[in-house]
Amino acid sequence: MRRLFLIAIGISLLVGCASQKGAVGETFPNKTIEIIAPASPGGGWDMAARSSQRALKADGTAGEDITVINKPGGGGEVGWQYLNQQDGHFAALNSSLLITGQLLGQSELTYEQFTPLAMLSTEWLAVATKADAGFENATELMDQLREDPKSLTIGVSPSLGSGNHLAFVQAAIESGIDPTELQFLVYSSGGDIMNALLGGHIDLTSNSMSDLSEQYEAGEVEILAITSPERLDSFPDIPTWQEQGVSVEFPHWRGIMGPPDMSETEIAQWDDMLSEMVETEEWKTDLDNNDLDAFYMNSNETVDFLKEQHEFFKDIVSESGLAP
Amino acid sequence: MDTSVILDGLWTALQPVNLLWLLFGAALGTIVGILPGLGAATGVAVLIPLTFGMEPVSALILMAAIYYGALFGGSRSSILINTPGDGSSIAAAFDGYPMTKKGQAGQAMSIAAMASLIGGLIAIFGFIFLALPLAKFALNFGPAEFLLLFLFALSAVVTLSQGNVVKGFLTMFLGLGISTVGIDLQSGVHRFTFDVPHLTDGINFIIIIIGIYAIGEVLYNLINQSKQMDTGNKNIGSKWFTKDQWKRSLGPILRSGPIGFFLGVLPGSGGTIASLLAYSTEKQISKNKKEFGKGAVEGLVAPESANSASAVGSMIPMLTMGIPGSGTTAVMLGALVMIGVTPGPLLFENSPDMVWTLINSMFIGNLILVVINIMMVGMLVKVLKTPPNVLYPIVLILSFLGAYTLGYSTIDFYILIIAGIFGLLLRVLNYPVVPMILALIVGGDMEQNLQRATVIYGSPIEMLFASPITIILAILTILSLLFPLIAKLLKQKKGQSTI
Repeated sequence: MRRLFLIAIGISLLVGCASQKGAVGETFPNKTIEIIAPASPGGGWDMAARSSQRALKADGTAGEDITVINKPGGGGEVGWQYLNQQDGHFAALNSSLLITGQLLGQSELTYEQFTPLAMLSTEWLAVATKADAGFENATELMDQLREDPKSLTIGVSPSLGSGNHLAFVQAAIESGIDPTELQFLVYSSGGDIMNALLGGHIDLTSNSMSDLSEQYEAGEVEILAITSPERLDSFPDIPTWQEQGVSVEFPHWRGIMGPPDMSETEIAQWDDMLSEMVETEEWKTDLDNNDLDAFYMNSNETVDFLKEQHEFFKDIVSESGLAP
Repeated sequence: MDTSVILDGLWTALQPVNLLWLLFGAALGTIVGILPGLGAATGVAVLIPLTFGMEPVSALILMAAIYYGALFGGSRSSILINTPGDGSSIAAAFDGYPMTKKGQAGQAMSIAAMASLIGGLIAIFGFIFLALPLAKFALNFGPAEFLLLFLFALSAVVTLSQGNVVKGFLTMFLGLGISTVGIDLQSGVHRFTFDVPHLTDGINFIIIIIGIYAIGEVLYNLINQSKQMDTGNKNIGSKWFTKDQWKRSLGPILRSGPIGFFLGVLPGSGGTIASLLAYSTEKQISKNKKEFGKGAVEGLVAPESANSASAVGSMIPMLTMGIPGSGTTAVMLGALVMIGVTPGPLLFENSPDMVWTLINSMFIGNLILVVINIMMVGMLVKVLKTPPNVLYPIVLILSFLGAYTLGYSTIDFYILIIAGIFGLLLRVLNYPVVPMILALIVGGDMEQNLQRATVIYGSPIEMLFASPITIILAILTILSLLFPLIAKLLKQKKGQSTI
């Protein structure tokens, strides 16, 4: 009897929700949209959130005000925990840390908990040395590391298990080097890395193009390989890993996701807003200014992409020696 | 150097729209500097959306003005109610608050503003002539050099805790201990985080500062309620400092400016170390050593001059290398990239006009700030006349607000309260608090650099002899530890010889 009663309540709630959602659906969004940057102001996530805010406002499809909130801490975890408790008017930026955090045993959150909304942009990661370090190409570099993995110090940021770190781990594995033998020095930001590289305190770094481009153009650093599948239009002189015989393709993507259990209409509305957003001039200019590449995928494509990425990272993390 | 570029820069800086932004930034900076927790980084971050539509050079002027404006404003609450809101304004409380108690609040604030001005101007001249070579030199600071720099700063500050150096060491070790909370970068291990995600990034030292000073001060006055309220002397004294004060201040100001400027250029060291080292230097060499801590004007102007200079200095690596040296310049860098300016080695070649406009505007901005700050003295001293039952609740509210804006987390409230109670204990038991706070600020970086240096050099001996810089810093560290002893011995000898 009691169970029947509960079922009855459940059904009526469901119906109620469905009808309510239908009603809301027509007017979604009906209040301010909040984009969560799971980091402090100034970093990559914050900038991605603010670019989205600017481009969404310029586009106007949303029809509501858009704000950015910063929830820094725990490599994104604090912001995502916060998103977990919100409704469909909230969305948070994410990156591979969403997947690796759980694989590394640092977080309980899984990517499957949330509602993927889109992929937004990607950076490609590059291996750089000081201009006068004397390596002609990545092959020479990897040869030396195969000979003596401890002969060079490698700067990465912001953590072990970050894209910057794992991209080099993948290159090492593909070159037949045991990644657990390598000497990684961890710095908290790309700026600190550049400082250490130019000062000769580290020998090489695996870092995002945006952190390297300025010094590269000034001739201070040499870039030996990049993780993109083909050479970049903006840096046609930088060779890819693949053309040097190392099978590496490693996008450092940024995407956006909503809280668990969003309705179809809400997801559809976000798809509309975001697909329009990435076409705006404001968005394209921001990508250019930050040395980012367009990487848009809609919510359906993103679901599949995240699954692929999960498999990909599972392998690398276990070989990196970092898995719990 | 091409004078026409300099004049063009001056002309651009003097455009009404740029002057307006400068004035706005200076005023806003002063306000966020006064409020606890709302540092320059937050002030700049809040304005990022506003900069989207602006000319890049105006945005740069505005953000820089907030930055050095906040350092002008930062000393106000230290002087008036002994509650620094940020690391760089702690040293201003050492002698600034005693001056207030002596009835010299007005004089303290106006001379502190003058010290900030002159420190800023020294640094601007340093910027003009030394920006590029200094940025290159700063690159020599690697793990071993930073490790020793932090060691030197700690030893110089511990020896400040006169009479109870042992207590100073104790609180220093406590600070180092607290700084280990959070994820260890080199190993990825979580330390003392108790599965609280918010703690993985460690405990923000500004929350501890606000807790120990602001909350601690309120609690201290609460338990001493029966006695006379300790809001300082109701007599606020003259607004303008005396000729004698000025004479005593000039030397310390001129010495501290270059110290602050240079430490500002080094990434990561920032205003706190600059102001504390300037204070300890002055204390060591001053003839009025005994007066330090009891309202010596030298002890107020030295840190103020140094931290103002450090703000200008820290813009050098950001602009010349694209490497931010402080939290605020990191936010500035991000905002500049968003509006299409990429600071770095090419900025000076491709847009010298922008750099010179900024330099000129910093010059004008410092002059504007000294006027704003001296004009505000009359208004701010009213704080002292506010009855404690109004003032302290306001301090509490501002402290909690400030703590929230730092991490957007209520966990920080608990840390704030614990730090407050702890600050009260330290005060009652007469333990020096500054070694702990400095240790907390530099501890994390110091440890990471120790770990990196261990990978690079292997043994501590090799670390010490890594470069001329490490050797000099090691000697300075030893000297600063022995200095009080040597001074004592010398004094005894003198005493004996006169007998």
